[in-house]
Amino acid sequence: MSPQLTLQTPLELAPSEVPTYLEQLWSPQQQGNTGTGANTFCLLIWQPAWAEQQLVRSGRLQGPVTGQQTKALIAAGRQAVSDADLPLSTPPLNGTVIEAIANFEGNTETEDLRGQYIDPALSALMPRRLITLAPTIDADHPLETLVAAYCPLPEEGGGTTACGDVVVLRGGFNALQDGMTILEPLLPDSMPAWVWWNGFLDEAPQLMERLTCAPRRLIIDTAVGDPRQCLDLLRNRVEAGQAVNDLNWLRLRSWRETLAMVFDPPERRDALSHITRIDIDVEGHHPAQGLLLAAWIADRLGWDLQETEAIEGGSSAQFRRPDGAQVSFQLMAVPMGQPNVHAGQMVGLRLIAEPDNGQGVCVILCADSGGCMRLEGGGMASLELHEEVVPVQHATPEMDVARQLSGGHDSTNPLLAAAAPLAARLLP
Amino acid sequence: MVATMTNPLRVGLRQERVIAPQCLVIFGASGDLTHRKLVPALFELFKQRRLPSEFALLGCARRPWSDEEFRGKMAEALADKIAEEPKAWEQFVDKLFYEPVDLQQPEDVVRLGGRLDQIDQQCATRGNRTFYLSVSPKFYGSGCRALADAGLLKDAKRSRVVIEKPFGRDYGSAQALNQVVQNCGQENQIFRIDHYLGKETVQNIMVLRFANTIFEPIWNRNYISSIQITAAETVGVEERAGYYESSGALRDMVQNHLTQMLAITAMEPPGRFDPEAIRNEKAKVLQAARLADEQEPWNCCIRGQYGPGGSHDVPLAGYRHEPGVDPNSTTETYVAMKLFIDNWRWQGVPFYVRTGKRLAKRLSEVVLTFREAPVHLFDAATGGPTANQLILRIQPDEGAEFRFEVKSPGSGMRSRPIDMEFSYDESFGEPSDEGYVRLLADAMLGDPTLFTRSDEVEAAWRLYTPLLELIEDSPWQLPIHPYESRTWGPAAADALLARDGLLWRRP
Repeated sequence: MSPQLTLQTPLELAPSEVPTYLEQLWSPQQQGNTGTGANTFCLLIWQPAWAEQQLVRSGRLQGPVTGQQTKALIAAGRQAVSDADLPLSTPPLNGTVIEAIANFEGNTETEDLRGQYIDPALSALMPRRLITLAPTIDADHPLETLVAAYCPLPEEGGGTTACGDVVVLRGGFNALQDGMTILEPLLPDSMPAWVWWNGFLDEAPQLMERLTCAPRRLIIDTAVGDPRQCLDLLRNRVEAGQAVNDLNWLRLRSWRETLAMVFDPPERRDALSHITRIDIDVEGHHPAQGLLLAAWIADRLGWDLQETEAIEGGSSAQFRRPDGAQVSFQLMAVPMGQPNVHAGQMVGLRLIAEPDNGQGVCVILCADSGGCMRLEGGGMASLELHEEVVPVQHATPEMDVARQLSGGHDSTNPLLAAAAPLAARLLP
Repeated sequence: MVATMTNPLRVGLRQERVIAPQCLVIFGASGDLTHRKLVPALFELFKQRRLPSEFALLGCARRPWSDEEFRGKMAEALADKIAEEPKAWEQFVDKLFYEPVDLQQPEDVVRLGGRLDQIDQQCATRGNRTFYLSVSPKFYGSGCRALADAGLLKDAKRSRVVIEKPFGRDYGSAQALNQVVQNCGQENQIFRIDHYLGKETVQNIMVLRFANTIFEPIWNRNYISSIQITAAETVGVEERAGYYESSGALRDMVQNHLTQMLAITAMEPPGRFDPEAIRNEKAKVLQAARLADEQEPWNCCIRGQYGPGGSHDVPLAGYRHEPGVDPNSTTETYVAMKLFIDNWRWQGVPFYVRTGKRLAKRLSEVVLTFREAPVHLFDAATGGPTANQLILRIQPDEGAEFRFEVKSPGSGMRSRPIDMEFSYDESFGEPSDEGYVRLLADAMLGDPTLFTRSDEVEAAWRLYTPLLELIEDSPWQLPIHPYESRTWGPAAADALLARDGLLWRRP
């Protein structure tokens, strides 16, 4: 159990009573008992945890349901891939796996602690209010509304009297829709509000539209859901001026850093003006991360996208450099025996530069989780080769989200804002 | 777009650690440091997106300015930087506020508390506050006390105080000041700033030593014969005569900047990269340091003062003719000294430290000279084999070079020294952040690694106590040696090394 301290046992209230109850909880008369309400931020989490719910129901994972991405959950997901005869390259928590588990028998009931189980990385930031929307796999489950106050434990930076509250709305999808009416008063304008859509980006579009309206700051993961819808959503929100944080983009940081590092020595920079080809390999058939990386490079180097095309196993595109020369781009899906929990993570990148009157340069970046033999194969003997291994990030989603929240910006990272529309156009 | 001078892929990637929502309060906001260093550093952090949206800067001074007046003054002072990125300034300037505060007036400080609560509401800065005392050193103690009395330092997790140098004038006053500030808050709330520690190259000494296996085994008395630490300036006292007359080079440079370089060069490897582990090791090595001759310090320390110099066309005034300087001043503008560190690693290895104004070049460096090879098998082109040297260039031309012997081309087996170079410019091609950018960010992050702890400050002052007492009690025993402006200091400083058969490195 993560360290968290509720000042009271979660209280089940009628939805209509929740705003009044919380208002009273933090009223000056009550503060002697409960400490001061932190003047920080509100975080609203869409927390379906479909895979976890199905795995627990089918007896493949021990409860309670927490909504956290634990090692046990990932291991159970991998086992389910094997049990359902899915290709081994299937990411353990993706939609196909969830559909397969839904067909497994079992009816284990367990406690559902979603929203009450606060990750230390998040509670250390002392959110003023954590609201969790926890849809159940039982579509007819009635709406339950739980409320509790909590204070961070001293060892996680608490010990002061700045506390917060948690609100959990749990139920079937329709019941949850009905409960939406209480959300507005729970998200005061005086505090920044973040929405972490911790589910598939192509599920519940109307609900998403309603929950994630600006100026709420959005946290999404473009590795979760249909790639077209993921990238379109990212593009639309960025173009509308909303602050969007993409965990899939965040996981690219070591790739961006390593590639920048290769071109830090000034004598190598000229090669950036003469790139003729870029190849990217990603895990499985989810190209969003690879396209975001390609779009970042293209944007930084001032390339214009000319055309894109679907090819067997991936996609290709042509860019035009500022000097008018062409750059070929190809993204290929590579099956992995032990796939990352996040779909479509980067496997490797090859970049070839061919200056008119100088020696060609080939840069190969390869994830430290596996080889990138396809990119290393053939035709580069005459080029100056720079190879680097890129460390894979192992942070949990909660840690990545905490990273975004801890120094929250009210605008999208400019690099992501520039890359997102181009990445969406790169998808054929 | 590709630019010849910058790496287009590097742009926007420096966002490693994110500062939590915060209000930075600068006392002395009408002063020079605020518009010359602090606000430019904050603007730079803002441009790099390293400040959160929930950020506010509250300037405080006695002048009765409004928010708008303060914003106008800062815009005036930063005009050049704003011209480069006017849009960024438009966004940044909204985060600047001003409150007239005299730290000596309790009611002012109470009013400040109210204004801070207001800013917390307005900017959602979450009650996180960093108080920066950019005021006269004589107000450090009373300033901290005023903040503590108003309850502004009560929350140790969310409030901290940054104190500029100099921290005390000697061991006794540093101890007294430490007692005062430690009564106001916990040690981890106190950030004693030394901007030298904000320099990439000073931090790189730690990386070079502790991230590479090849250096640490030879970083000791078995392989190193001597170490020189130099901080040379070409400028004179400029407009700082008032301060400098009462401090001199020893207090202005040696006790803080050079001693920090010495500590980082000589410290033991910390068990982990953790602020306390690093500061423990720095404190330990300073506690083991001593003047080479504590009984007769004049044998190991040379003081100098620049006289006139320069050329016929551009004559340079001597120190005593500078505006604001006493014509009979005995303040030193140059110090050279020899130190030892009494521990297993460094026993018997002399550390030569020098600093001065109006020297021939502007540079800071650490030079480690290794022991000579036990047997000389080859003739040396330069007369005798040159000892290996590792030169860590702090500024300018930041980098490192390693000097070693190679075979001179041609028949025969003659050796000659060559230099293997690492240059920040050539490897990274990007200018490093100004020290204040790093240090302000670290203070707001609550990371004290690059700030000096109370025991370090006290150990540094204690190290120079015999000298300070001698200067106070019998200054004639530590005479001032005049030297010509734009030379490498007095001849007596060369003699200090010559006695050990050594020379200062001429960079």
